[in-house]
Formats: sequence, structure tokens, C-alpha cells
Amino acid sequence: MEAKDYWPNRQQWKEKNALQMKNTVIAKLVDVSKYYGNGAARVTALDRVNLSLCRGDIVVLVGLSGSGKSTLLHLLGCIDKQDKGNIIIDGIDTSSMSLEQLAPLRLNKIGFVFQSFNLIPVLTAYENVELPLLFKGLEKKAISERVHEVLDEVGLQDRKKHYPREMSGGQQQRVAIARALAGQPSIVLADEPTANLDSKTGEGILDLLLNLNQQKKSTLVISSHDSVVLDRIKSVVHILDGRVSVDTEHSPVQT
Amino acid sequence: MTIIKLINIALRNLFRNSRRTFITVLVSASGFAALAIIAGYMEFTFFGLREMTICKGFTASGGTGHLQVFMQDALQKEERYPLEFGIEVNDKLQSNIESTGNVSFTIPRVEFNGLISNGEKSISFLGMGVDPVKESKLIEYWYALDNMSSKAVRADSSFTQLKNTAPNGVLLGEEMAKALNVKKGSGLMLMSTTVDGAVNVVDVTVAGIVQNTIKSINRYYLVTNIKTAQSLMQTEKVSKIVVILNKTENTDAVRPLLSKKLNGSSAKPLFSVIPWNNLAEYYNSVIDAYRIIFSFSGIIIVVIVFLSCTNTMLMATMERVKEIGTLKAIGISNIWIILMFLFEGFFIGVLSVVAGIALKYIFSWIINNSGFMMPPPPGMTSSYELNIFSAVEFLPWISLLVMVSTTFSGLLTFVKIRKISIVNSLTHV
Repeated sequence: MEAKDYWPNRQQWKEKNALQMKNTVIAKLVDVSKYYGNGAARVTALDRVNLSLCRGDIVVLVGLSGSGKSTLLHLLGCIDKQDKGNIIIDGIDTSSMSLEQLAPLRLNKIGFVFQSFNLIPVLTAYENVELPLLFKGLEKKAISERVHEVLDEVGLQDRKKHYPREMSGGQQQRVAIARALAGQPSIVLADEPTANLDSKTGEGILDLLLNLNQQKKSTLVISSHDSVVLDRIKSVVHILDGRVSVDTEHSPVQT
Repeated sequence: MTIIKLINIALRNLFRNSRRTFITVLVSASGFAALAIIAGYMEFTFFGLREMTICKGFTASGGTGHLQVFMQDALQKEERYPLEFGIEVNDKLQSNIESTGNVSFTIPRVEFNGLISNGEKSISFLGMGVDPVKESKLIEYWYALDNMSSKAVRADSSFTQLKNTAPNGVLLGEEMAKALNVKKGSGLMLMSTTVDGAVNVVDVTVAGIVQNTIKSINRYYLVTNIKTAQSLMQTEKVSKIVVILNKTENTDAVRPLLSKKLNGSSAKPLFSVIPWNNLAEYYNSVIDAYRIIFSFSGIIIVVIVFLSCTNTMLMATMERVKEIGTLKAIGISNIWIILMFLFEGFFIGVLSVVAGIALKYIFSWIINNSGFMMPPPPGMTSSYELNIFSAVEFLPWISLLVMVSTTFSGLLTFVKIRKISIVNSLTHV
């Protein structure tokens, strides 16, 4: 007797689910404005920005110095507050929350890679990656497995006991990437991740970020001046005088 | 696990800037040692003053003893004539007192007053009739206790002079001797009222000129043999019986026992037993003053420790702005970051206590072996050798005080940490 197929459209369901996943909006900015200073000295860093980023998007923020790309990255990362508009991260409207109230959101949903690595100097590579996981309240065993996994992914298993001062810039940035990815965030934000590295190392770091992003299907937003980055990422958000425009070949990024 | 990691980070941060940590610990440890030495000095002073009050006293008539037995009426009523409420001393009473547990011996004393004259000039006096043999025993008792001031300058016991000047010796204060223009061996007359209200005179010989510890007493105070005082007043009674115990610490325990033994279960007790501290006005006022001085010194030291530690913590916060910003950016709440600084303060406190205990014992040993003589306290005439007691019972409290002040200095970083802008701190150099 032929077995009855209780799930005849499995492939179709998978594709539909993947598409839905792909179209899930991870970060949404609605009429977001940000100002610095007061009165006559007030500078508009971002002016009524609307932007939607979906799961798995890889976007590079491009703009002249002072154009507002770092501000946009900071607002997306919930480490700064907008003056107007709404920011929704993974379905959570952050507008009415203080930066301190946003700490759990940053811990669970957002991964940061900084230009100058920003590792904690008194902690080893392993401990730097382990740190955010400890505050997530995970089991010791789960933390250990996860840290070893990400260190493996960034190729630093053999450097796990080294302190930041004992590692090269590229290695430190790899640790920073491992730290950002360890908590499996919905969105990874990288602020000029290759700026402090030589071109070869920078390219390696970019490869790593893109590869890991492809595997994890997290949203990756990079702020960069680096031409190598611009060559590799097709979805580009241009920022000029606080306004954004999207130049995309096949990205769903919307403004 | 998170707490353990925070403790781990706090410890590593302490050793990261080891020179600054060392200086902070040194300041806090010095504060600890200073507090402990003050406590040790306070303990020494209080002990010395207590035992001096009991054994030697501040007048030539000797110390208060541990307990004093009076007739109940002597404390409640005005006497119509001298020694109306005096105690009739007999062997039974004396053995009754001396057979009480922890009682070493008793000393009878007679209080009297009158005029002292050299034939040309008369001065009013307050006098005490004492048993020089027993009073010498009490002084020896004090010297035995006072092993910490073995190098102190000690005059020969004035009671020995009194004992050796038969039959009617008298000890005069320096000022009184000057006023009467007499010296050792000079003859004088004591005039007083007898228990019958008549005036009586006895001839006395100056057995010695003494310096009472309290200077102002030197002008009007004199001490004579109890027999002389009793013959002057024509009575066998005494004003009080001074009771000496084997240990001052037994005072509170012996007092009710002795009272019960003397009064039985009588509803109207005949005798009253008063502990030394109720009779030591001078001791109590000096102790109160010293407590205020020592407390004030302690507060100043704690404030210095607190400020020094706060400075270190705030400097550490300023230096680690970028790290604090990074921790905040990766989603670690302010409370965890502040907790990390509290742990740093706490560990500075722990290190300070350990180093402070060592410093305290080193300095105490140096001071105790230096033979340093302290000048006489205000109103007193004799200097004494500086000594620092171990003050072990104070050490847990001082440790707590130092650790609380260093830990709370970490809490002050709270304001700074809360104010640190994540965005600005990430680019902080």
C-alpha cells in the first residue's frame, strides 16, 4: 500500500515560508529626524528618514563625512534616540523607550561591530565573545558551545586565550564580529569595520561578515567609505544632508 | 555566573592599573591602621584611667576601689554632726565583706574637715583619714596592673611616708604647704569638730608634700592616718569601706552579692554598695570628652578614605569611558556596570583591611617599644608612657567601616556611568 502523502506541498511551503521570512521587516524607520544643537546652531543630522530593512538584507550606508550615516547607524542600533519619528526593531516600537530600557533589545536583537574593535582589554578573546551571552542568562554549557562555534567561524579558535593586546587589528576585529554574532542577533551593524585595517585584512573581514550573514540570514548594515565594500554590496543607501535615497539592484530595501 | 564574571572583571581591572590601586589601598590601609591605632590608644587610655581611678585616684587619698560601702542614710540624709552615719567597723563586718567571692581586701576611710594651722596662719581643709598600709597595698596593686608604664616616673608612695611618720603624720598638697610655709617634718595643728559637737585639736607632723593629680586640690586637701582622724573626731567610726576586687571586670557581679550579704533580705537595707564608676565623676567626664575626640578623628579618617577611593573610582570611570560605552552598546544595563565598580571598591576595601591590619600591628609594636612619654593630660600632673592596645574587638567594626566606605565610593560612579553617552563614548580616546 502506497503511503499517503500528508504534506504534499512541502517544497511549496518551504519556498513560501522562506519568502515570508525574507520579507519580514526587521528594522523600520518612519519619518525619523535627528538634530544636534539648539536654536540657530541646530544642525539637522537626519531629516524625515523612512527606511525598511528586511531579514537577510545587506545594506551599505554611504555618504560624505557628516552626512548622517553614523547617526542613522546609531539610531538603528538603539544607542541614540531620534528627535522625531518612530523606529521599530523586530516588531518593537522603540520610540517611547529610554536608552537604558533599550538595553535588553540591544543585547538580544542587535550585534555591533565597531571601527576600533572596542574589545574589553582585560578579557580574552573567548571572554569577550562570552560576555553578552552571560548577560542573556544562558546556561554555561550553551554559552561555551556557542562561543567555540563562533570563534571557529571567525577562525580564531587557537587565539581564544589571547588578550586583545596580543592580537593583530584583523584578529581583534574578528573577535568583535564573533561577539556581535554570538547572540544570534536579528540585525548586525558594522560601523566602518575595515577602516582601521589594511586593505587585505579589510577584505578578509568583509568576506567574513558577508559569508556569516549569508549563513545566519541576519540583516547586515555597514557604514563605509571603503570602495571594496561598495563593490561587494549592491544595496546602497546614500545619505546626503540627512536625507536618504536607495540605490539597489535587487534589494527590497525601501524608502 | 554573571556575578562571578563581574567579580572577575573587577579584580582584573584592579590589577590593570596596579600602581593606582596600590596607592589607593595604601591610603585606605593607612586609614584602617590609623583608626585601629586610635582604638588601641583609646582602649589603653580608658583602661589606664579606669584603673588609675580605682587604684590610685586623683587625690592623695587614693583610688575609689571597685566598690564602696556606705551606710544607706549617709547617701540620703544630711548629717547633723560628723560621722552621724558612719560605719562601726568590726571584725565580723570586715570578714563578711572580705569573704565574698572575688574580694581581695578592704580599706576603711574617714572623711573630715576643719582648720589647719601653723600657729600664725590657719587654712580650712578637706581631709581624709586612711590606713597607709592598706592604701600602699592598693597602690602596689595599681603598679602591678600598670605594667605598660613601667618606665613612667613614679614617686615613692606617699603612704609609705605617712606610715613611717609616727604617730600623727599628715600629707599636704604642694599649694597648702606653700601657704603654711612648712616642709617635711614641720609641726602643725589640726582643728575639727568631734562627733559630740565639741572642738578638738591634734598636733600633726608633715609626713610629706604631695602633688595631687588634679592640681586645684593641692590647695585645700590633706591626708592623715585614720587613727589621727578618728582621735581628732573622737570616734571609732569610718565614713566608708573601700572594697578591692581581684579584677575590675567582676565589679558588676560582686556588687549585688555583697549588697545581699550585708543587708540580708531586709526591706530597709542598712548598707549601700556603690560601684566605682558611680563615684568617678572625673573619669566619666574625661571618658565622654575622649569619646567625642576619638569619634571625630575617626570620622575625619573615614572621610579621607572615602574621598581617596571615590577619586580613584571616578578616575577609573573616566579612563574606561570607551569600555563603559561598549558595554552599554552591547546591551549591558547600567546596574551591572555599576555593580562591577562596586566590586572594585569592595576589593579595594578587602585589600585595605588586610594591609591595614598588618600596618596596625607594625606601628603598634614600634610605638609600644619606643618608650614614648606622653605629656600630662590637661589638669593633671604626671606624664605617662604611650601604649597601644590590640583593640581586637574594634577591628571587625573598623573593617566594616573601611569596606563600606570603599564600596560606596564605587556607588558614586553611578551618576557618571548613567550620564555617559553611548555614542560619544564609543569614539572616546
